Amino acid sequence: MSRLYLYGITRSREVPERLADQGIFLVEGEERAAVVSALDEGPVEATRRNLLAHADVVEQLHEEAVVLPARFGYMLESRDEALELIAMPEIEQLLDRHERTCELTLKGTYEESVLADVGAALAPLREQYRAEPSVDAGIALGEAVGEALAQRRARDQAQVLDELRPLVLEVLTSEATGEFAALNLALLVDREGVEAVETQLGRLSARMSPPLHFKLVGPLPPYSFVRLAMPAVA
Amino acid sequence: MQRESSAGYITRAPRSSGLADVLEILLDRGLVIDAYVRVSLVGIELLTVDLRVVIASVDTYLRFAEAVNRLDLRQVDDSRSVPDLFQQGGEEVASTKTKGAVEGGMDAIKEKIGLGGRDGDDDDDNEDDGSSRSRSRSRSGNR
Repeated sequence: MSRLYLYGITRSREVPERLADQGIFLVEGEERAAVVSALDEGPVEATRRNLLAHADVVEQLHEEAVVLPARFGYMLESRDEALELIAMPEIEQLLDRHERTCELTLKGTYEESVLADVGAALAPLREQYRAEPSVDAGIALGEAVGEALAQRRARDQAQVLDELRPLVLEVLTSEATGEFAALNLALLVDREGVEAVETQLGRLSARMSPPLHFKLVGPLPPYSFVRLAMPAVA
Repeated sequence: MQRESSAGYITRAPRSSGLADVLEILLDRGLVIDAYVRVSLVGIELLTVDLRVVIASVDTYLRFAEAVNRLDLRQVDDSRSVPDLFQQGGEEVASTKTKGAVEGGMDAIKEKIGLGGRDGDDDDDNEDDGSSRSRSRSRSGNR
Protein backbone atom coordinates (compact mmCIF):
# COMPACT_ATOMS: atom_id res chain seq x y z
CA MET A 1 0.00 0.00 0.00
CA SER A 2 1.61 3.14 -1.09
CA ARG A 3 1.62 6.36 0.78
CA LEU A 4 -0.65 9.15 -0.31
CA TYR A 5 -0.04 12.80 -1.03
CA LEU A 6 -2.87 14.96 0.27
CA TYR A 7 -4.28 17.81 -1.82
CA GLY A 8 -7.36 18.56 0.17
CA ILE A 9 -10.69 17.38 1.46
CA THR A 10 -13.92 17.58 -0.47
CA ARG A 11 -17.54 16.55 -0.53
CA SER A 12 -17.27 15.77 -4.20
CA ARG A 13 -17.83 12.16 -5.20
CA GLU A 14 -15.63 12.26 -8.25
CA VAL A 15 -12.62 13.95 -9.67
CA PRO A 16 -12.74 15.56 -13.12
CA GLU A 17 -11.35 13.38 -15.85
CA ARG A 18 -8.41 15.64 -16.46
CA LEU A 19 -7.27 15.16 -12.88
CA ALA A 20 -8.04 11.46 -12.84
CA ASP A 21 -5.77 11.11 -15.84
CA GLN A 22 -2.99 12.57 -13.73
CA GLY A 23 -3.44 9.98 -11.02
CA ILE A 24 -5.57 12.04 -8.68
CA PHE A 25 -8.22 10.04 -6.87
CA LEU A 26 -10.50 10.11 -3.86
CA VAL A 27 -10.38 8.13 -0.65
CA GLU A 28 -14.04 8.24 0.20
CA GLY A 29 -15.67 8.21 3.56
CA GLU A 30 -19.37 8.44 4.09
CA GLU A 31 -19.86 12.06 3.21
CA ARG A 32 -16.46 13.41 2.43
CA ALA A 33 -13.33 12.38 0.67
CA ALA A 34 -9.62 13.02 0.77
CA VAL A 35 -8.17 14.12 -2.55
CA VAL A 36 -4.91 12.25 -3.00
CA SER A 37 -2.41 10.72 -5.34
CA ALA A 38 -0.01 7.84 -4.77
CA LEU A 39 3.31 8.98 -3.47
CA ASP A 40 6.63 7.35 -4.19
CA GLU A 41 9.46 7.61 -1.80
CA GLY A 42 9.82 11.21 -0.64
CA PRO A 43 10.83 13.87 -0.25
CA VAL A 44 8.38 15.97 -2.16
CA GLU A 45 10.16 18.88 -3.63
CA ALA A 46 8.66 22.32 -3.29
CA THR A 47 9.36 23.13 -6.87
CA ARG A 48 7.41 25.50 -9.01
CA ARG A 49 5.98 22.57 -10.88
CA ASN A 50 4.82 20.71 -7.78
CA LEU A 51 3.32 23.78 -6.15
CA LEU A 52 1.43 24.72 -9.27
CA ALA A 53 0.23 21.14 -9.67
CA HIS A 54 -1.14 21.14 -6.13
CA ALA A 55 -2.90 24.45 -6.72
CA ASP A 56 -4.25 23.19 -10.02
CA VAL A 57 -5.87 20.15 -8.39
CA VAL A 58 -7.63 21.99 -5.59
CA GLU A 59 -8.59 24.92 -7.79
CA GLN A 60 -10.07 22.72 -10.47
CA LEU A 61 -12.06 20.76 -7.91
CA HIS A 62 -13.21 23.96 -6.30
CA GLU A 63 -14.93 24.98 -9.50
CA GLU A 64 -17.51 22.28 -8.93
CA ALA A 65 -17.46 21.47 -5.26
CA VAL A 66 -16.42 22.54 -1.81
CA VAL A 67 -12.75 21.84 -1.17
CA LEU A 68 -10.59 22.44 1.85
CA PRO A 69 -7.13 22.85 0.37
CA ALA A 70 -4.33 21.22 2.35
CA ARG A 71 -1.10 23.01 2.91
CA PHE A 72 1.59 21.84 0.54
CA GLY A 73 3.51 18.78 1.59
CA TYR A 74 1.23 16.48 3.58
CA MET A 75 1.47 12.79 3.15
CA LEU A 76 -0.69 10.08 4.60
CA GLU A 77 0.67 6.67 5.42
CA SER A 78 -2.36 4.76 4.26
CA ARG A 79 -5.99 4.83 3.20
CA ASP A 80 -6.94 4.30 6.81
CA GLU A 81 -5.12 7.40 7.83
CA ALA A 82 -6.99 9.34 5.15
CA LEU A 83 -10.31 8.00 6.41
CA GLU A 84 -9.40 8.91 9.95
CA LEU A 85 -8.55 12.42 8.86
CA ILE A 86 -11.77 13.10 7.02
CA ALA A 87 -13.81 11.72 9.91
CA MET A 88 -12.66 14.52 12.19
CA PRO A 89 -15.62 16.65 13.32
CA GLU A 90 -13.59 19.83 12.78
CA ILE A 91 -13.33 18.91 9.12
CA GLU A 92 -17.08 18.66 8.85
CA GLN A 93 -17.46 22.07 10.46
CA LEU A 94 -15.06 23.61 7.98
CA LEU A 95 -16.81 21.98 5.05
CA ASP A 96 -20.11 23.38 6.28
CA ARG A 97 -18.66 26.81 6.69
CA HIS A 98 -17.18 26.87 3.21
CA GLU A 99 -20.08 25.30 1.38
CA ARG A 100 -20.64 28.47 -0.65
CA THR A 101 -17.50 30.49 -0.15
CA CYS A 102 -14.43 31.26 -2.16
CA GLU A 103 -11.27 33.22 -1.63
CA LEU A 104 -10.00 36.19 -3.57
CA THR A 105 -6.44 37.31 -3.11
CA LEU A 106 -5.84 40.98 -3.61
CA LYS A 107 -2.45 42.56 -3.98
CA GLY A 108 -1.80 46.22 -4.55
CA THR A 109 1.37 47.76 -5.91
CA TYR A 110 2.42 51.37 -6.26
CA GLU A 111 4.06 52.82 -9.27
CA GLU A 112 7.57 54.01 -8.72
CA SER A 113 6.21 57.53 -8.99
CA VAL A 114 4.90 57.14 -5.48
CA LEU A 115 8.40 58.19 -4.46
CA ALA A 116 7.81 61.60 -5.98
CA ASP A 117 4.75 61.93 -3.87
CA VAL A 118 6.20 60.93 -0.57
CA GLY A 119 9.47 62.69 -1.34
CA ALA A 120 7.75 66.02 -1.85
CA ALA A 121 7.21 66.40 1.87
CA LEU A 122 10.83 65.69 2.76
CA ALA A 123 12.46 68.89 1.58
CA PRO A 124 14.99 69.37 4.39
CA LEU A 125 16.41 65.87 4.11
CA ARG A 126 16.46 66.13 0.36
CA GLU A 127 18.34 69.39 0.51
CA GLN A 128 20.79 67.89 2.91
CA TYR A 129 21.44 64.96 0.65
CA ARG A 130 21.76 67.17 -2.39
CA ALA A 131 24.24 69.41 -0.65
CA GLU A 132 26.29 66.55 0.63
CA PRO A 133 25.47 63.20 -0.94
CA SER A 134 27.05 61.07 1.76
CA VAL A 135 25.95 57.58 2.73
CA ASP A 136 24.63 58.86 6.04
CA ALA A 137 22.56 61.59 4.46
CA GLY A 138 21.31 59.06 1.93
CA ILE A 139 20.25 56.62 4.60
CA ALA A 140 18.52 59.37 6.55
CA LEU A 141 16.58 60.43 3.47
CA GLY A 142 15.90 56.86 2.40
CA GLU A 143 14.62 55.92 5.83
CA ALA A 144 12.28 58.89 5.81
CA VAL A 145 11.02 57.82 2.40
CA GLY A 146 10.52 54.29 3.66
CA GLU A 147 8.58 55.56 6.63
CA ALA A 148 6.41 57.80 4.50
CA LEU A 149 5.72 54.82 2.24
CA ALA A 150 4.71 52.75 5.24
CA GLN A 151 2.26 55.43 6.29
CA ARG A 152 0.92 55.59 2.79
CA ARG A 153 0.45 51.82 2.81
CA ALA A 154 -1.38 51.89 6.12
CA ARG A 155 -3.68 54.63 4.91
CA ASP A 156 -4.43 52.99 1.57
CA GLN A 157 -4.96 49.59 3.10
CA ALA A 158 -7.44 51.05 5.57
CA GLN A 159 -9.30 52.70 2.73
CA VAL A 160 -9.46 49.53 0.66
CA LEU A 161 -10.65 47.54 3.66
CA ASP A 162 -13.31 50.12 4.43
CA GLU A 163 -14.67 49.89 0.93
CA LEU A 164 -14.61 46.13 0.64
CA ARG A 165 -15.63 45.06 4.10
CA PRO A 166 -19.38 45.19 3.47
CA LEU A 167 -18.89 42.77 0.57
CA VAL A 168 -16.76 40.12 2.23
CA LEU A 169 -17.28 37.53 4.94
CA GLU A 170 -13.77 37.66 6.32
CA VAL A 171 -10.43 39.29 5.62
CA LEU A 172 -6.90 38.16 6.27
CA THR A 173 -4.38 40.95 6.13
CA SER A 174 -0.77 40.02 5.47
CA GLU A 175 2.40 41.98 5.17
CA ALA A 176 2.88 43.42 1.74
CA THR A 177 6.33 42.37 0.58
CA GLY A 178 8.25 44.26 -2.03
CA GLU A 179 9.47 47.81 -2.16
CA PHE A 180 6.41 49.13 -3.92
CA ALA A 181 3.92 46.65 -2.56
CA ALA A 182 0.95 48.39 -1.05
CA LEU A 183 -1.28 45.69 0.30
CA ASN A 184 -1.76 41.96 0.50
CA LEU A 185 -5.22 40.70 1.40
CA ALA A 186 -7.11 37.45 1.32
CA LEU A 187 -10.85 37.96 1.10
CA LEU A 188 -13.41 35.30 1.89
CA VAL A 189 -16.53 35.96 -0.13
CA ASP A 190 -19.68 34.19 -1.14
CA ARG A 191 -19.29 32.52 -4.52
CA GLU A 192 -22.00 34.82 -5.77
CA GLY A 193 -20.23 37.88 -4.41
CA VAL A 194 -17.11 37.91 -6.55
CA GLU A 195 -18.45 40.31 -9.11
CA ALA A 196 -19.49 42.84 -6.50
CA VAL A 197 -15.96 42.92 -5.12
CA GLU A 198 -14.57 43.37 -8.60
CA THR A 199 -16.93 46.23 -9.35
CA GLN A 200 -16.20 47.99 -6.10
CA LEU A 201 -12.49 47.61 -6.65
CA GLY A 202 -12.83 49.15 -10.09
CA ARG A 203 -14.55 52.18 -8.62
CA LEU A 204 -11.98 52.49 -5.91
CA SER A 205 -9.09 52.14 -8.31
CA ALA A 206 -10.43 54.92 -10.50
CA ARG A 207 -10.43 57.27 -7.52
CA MET A 208 -6.97 56.56 -6.21
CA SER A 209 -4.17 58.87 -7.14
CA PRO A 210 -1.40 58.17 -7.63
CA PRO A 211 -2.72 54.90 -8.96
CA LEU A 212 -2.52 51.65 -7.13
CA HIS A 213 -2.26 48.60 -9.33
CA PHE A 214 -4.48 45.83 -8.07
CA LYS A 215 -4.13 42.17 -8.81
CA LEU A 216 -7.19 40.16 -7.97
CA VAL A 217 -6.99 36.38 -8.21
CA GLY A 218 -9.91 34.05 -7.76
CA PRO A 219 -12.41 32.59 -7.10
CA LEU A 220 -10.03 30.23 -5.30
CA PRO A 221 -10.62 27.59 -2.69
CA PRO A 222 -10.47 29.11 0.80
CA TYR A 223 -6.74 28.64 1.30
CA SER A 224 -6.47 31.29 3.99
CA PHE A 225 -9.57 30.38 5.95
CA VAL A 226 -9.23 26.71 6.80
CA ARG A 227 -7.55 26.88 10.14
CA LEU A 228 -8.69 24.02 12.31
CA ALA A 229 -9.99 25.00 15.69
CA MET A 230 -7.33 22.88 17.31
CA PRO A 231 -4.26 23.98 19.18
CA ALA A 232 -1.34 23.95 16.82
CA VAL A 233 1.61 21.81 17.75
CA ALA A 234 4.88 22.68 16.14
CA MET B 1 -5.46 27.86 -19.90
CA GLN B 2 -5.17 31.02 -17.89
CA ARG B 3 -7.42 33.85 -18.79
CA GLU B 4 -5.85 37.00 -17.57
CA SER B 5 -7.07 40.44 -18.34
CA SER B 6 -6.17 43.89 -17.29
CA ALA B 7 -8.80 46.58 -17.04
CA GLY B 8 -7.45 49.91 -15.95
CA TYR B 9 -5.45 49.32 -12.85
CA ILE B 10 -6.89 45.93 -12.08
CA THR B 11 -5.25 42.76 -13.25
CA ARG B 12 -7.67 39.91 -13.05
CA ALA B 13 -6.85 36.21 -12.96
CA PRO B 14 -9.35 33.48 -12.20
CA ARG B 15 -6.76 31.01 -10.99
CA SER B 16 -3.32 30.98 -9.47
CA SER B 17 -1.00 31.24 -12.40
CA GLY B 18 2.50 31.86 -11.18
CA LEU B 19 4.82 30.94 -8.41
CA ALA B 20 4.16 34.20 -6.61
CA ASP B 21 0.48 33.36 -6.51
CA VAL B 22 0.90 29.93 -4.98
CA LEU B 23 3.85 30.34 -2.64
CA GLU B 24 1.99 32.11 0.08
CA ILE B 25 -1.28 30.25 -0.15
CA LEU B 26 0.28 26.81 -0.23
CA LEU B 27 3.22 27.20 2.12
CA ASP B 28 1.82 29.61 4.68
CA ARG B 29 -1.85 28.71 4.48
CA GLY B 30 -4.03 25.77 3.67
CA LEU B 31 -5.27 23.11 5.99
CA VAL B 32 -2.74 22.15 8.63
CA ILE B 33 -3.20 18.82 10.31
CA ASP B 34 -0.77 18.40 13.12
CA ALA B 35 -1.57 14.79 13.71
CA TYR B 36 -0.22 13.80 10.36
CA VAL B 37 3.25 13.46 9.11
CA ARG B 38 4.52 16.14 6.89
CA VAL B 39 6.60 15.11 3.94
CA SER B 40 10.13 16.24 4.31
CA LEU B 41 10.30 19.07 1.92
CA VAL B 42 13.13 20.24 -0.19
CA GLY B 43 13.36 23.63 -1.74
CA ILE B 44 10.91 25.68 0.25
CA GLU B 45 13.48 27.91 1.75
CA LEU B 46 14.91 28.90 -1.56
CA LEU B 47 11.50 29.72 -2.88
CA THR B 48 10.28 31.74 0.03
CA VAL B 49 13.32 33.91 0.54
CA ASP B 50 13.26 34.83 -3.08
CA LEU B 51 9.89 36.43 -2.61
CA ARG B 52 10.63 38.24 0.57
CA VAL B 53 12.24 41.52 -0.10
CA VAL B 54 13.38 43.10 3.07
CA ILE B 55 12.73 46.76 2.78
CA ALA B 56 14.78 47.86 5.76
CA SER B 57 18.11 47.50 4.09
CA VAL B 58 20.71 50.16 3.59
CA ASP B 59 20.75 49.38 -0.07
CA THR B 60 17.05 50.07 -0.38
CA TYR B 61 17.29 53.30 1.55
CA LEU B 62 20.08 54.56 -0.61
CA ARG B 63 18.14 53.79 -3.74
CA PHE B 64 15.10 55.56 -2.34
CA ALA B 65 17.26 58.55 -1.54
CA GLU B 66 18.72 58.53 -5.02
CA ALA B 67 15.30 58.28 -6.61
CA VAL B 68 13.91 61.12 -4.56
CA ASN B 69 16.98 63.19 -5.16
CA ARG B 70 16.53 62.89 -8.90
CA LEU B 71 13.18 64.53 -8.68
CA ASP B 72 13.48 68.16 -9.37
CA LEU B 73 11.02 69.48 -6.90
CA ARG B 74 12.17 73.05 -6.85
CA GLN B 75 9.21 74.21 -8.83
CA VAL B 76 6.90 72.95 -6.19
CA ASP B 77 6.27 74.87 -3.04
CA ASP B 78 8.00 72.66 -0.56
CA SER B 79 5.61 73.46 2.20
CA ARG B 80 2.99 71.26 0.65
CA SER B 81 2.40 68.13 2.57
CA VAL B 82 1.64 64.74 1.16
CA PRO B 83 -2.11 64.85 1.84
CA ASP B 84 -2.33 68.14 -0.05
CA LEU B 85 -0.68 66.65 -3.05
CA PHE B 86 -2.94 63.72 -2.83
CA GLN B 87 -6.05 65.83 -3.10
CA GLN B 88 -5.58 66.73 -6.69
CA GLY B 89 -6.52 63.25 -7.76
CA GLY B 90 -8.33 61.54 -4.95
CA GLU B 91 -11.02 63.85 -3.73
CA GLU B 92 -12.23 61.91 -0.77
CA VAL B 93 -8.92 60.57 0.31
CA ALA B 94 -7.36 63.37 2.23
CA SER B 95 -10.20 64.10 4.50
CA THR B 96 -8.20 65.72 7.25
CA LYS B 97 -6.64 68.48 5.23
CA THR B 98 -8.52 71.13 3.36
CA LYS B 99 -5.82 73.36 1.98
CA GLY B 100 -6.41 73.02 -1.71
CA ALA B 101 -3.86 75.15 -3.45
CA VAL B 102 -2.22 72.39 -5.39
CA GLU B 103 -2.85 72.50 -9.07
CA GLY B 104 -1.28 69.59 -10.79
CA GLY B 105 2.20 70.34 -9.54
CA MET B 106 3.12 66.74 -9.09
CA ASP B 107 1.76 65.75 -12.43
CA ALA B 108 3.91 68.36 -14.10
CA ILE B 109 6.96 67.09 -12.30
CA LYS B 110 6.27 63.50 -13.04
CA GLU B 111 5.85 64.33 -16.66
CA LYS B 112 9.06 66.25 -16.70
CA ILE B 113 11.08 63.47 -15.19
CA GLY B 114 9.25 60.82 -17.10
CA LEU B 115 7.68 59.00 -14.19
CA GLY B 116 4.08 59.88 -14.87
CA GLY B 117 3.50 57.53 -17.72
CA ARG B 118 5.35 54.61 -16.35
CA ASP B 119 3.13 51.61 -16.25
CA GLY B 120 3.77 49.56 -13.17
CA ASP B 121 3.19 46.33 -14.91
CA ASP B 122 5.95 44.43 -13.23
CA ASP B 123 3.62 42.68 -10.91
CA ASP B 124 3.82 39.25 -9.44
CA ASP B 125 3.75 37.35 -12.64
CA ASN B 126 7.31 37.71 -13.64
CA GLU B 127 8.62 36.29 -10.43
CA ASP B 128 10.50 33.64 -12.29
CA ASP B 129 12.90 36.06 -13.78
CA GLY B 130 13.06 37.98 -10.58
CA SER B 131 16.69 38.68 -11.13
CA SER B 132 15.81 41.12 -13.84
CA ARG B 133 14.45 43.48 -11.26
CA SER B 134 17.06 45.44 -9.50
CA ARG B 135 15.60 44.86 -6.11
CA SER B 136 17.48 44.02 -3.05
CA ARG B 137 16.75 40.59 -1.82
CA SER B 138 17.59 39.21 1.49
CA ARG B 139 17.73 35.79 3.00
CA SER B 140 16.61 36.88 6.40
CA GLY B 141 12.93 37.15 5.70
CA ASN B 142 11.71 33.64 6.28
CA ARG B 143 10.27 32.39 9.45
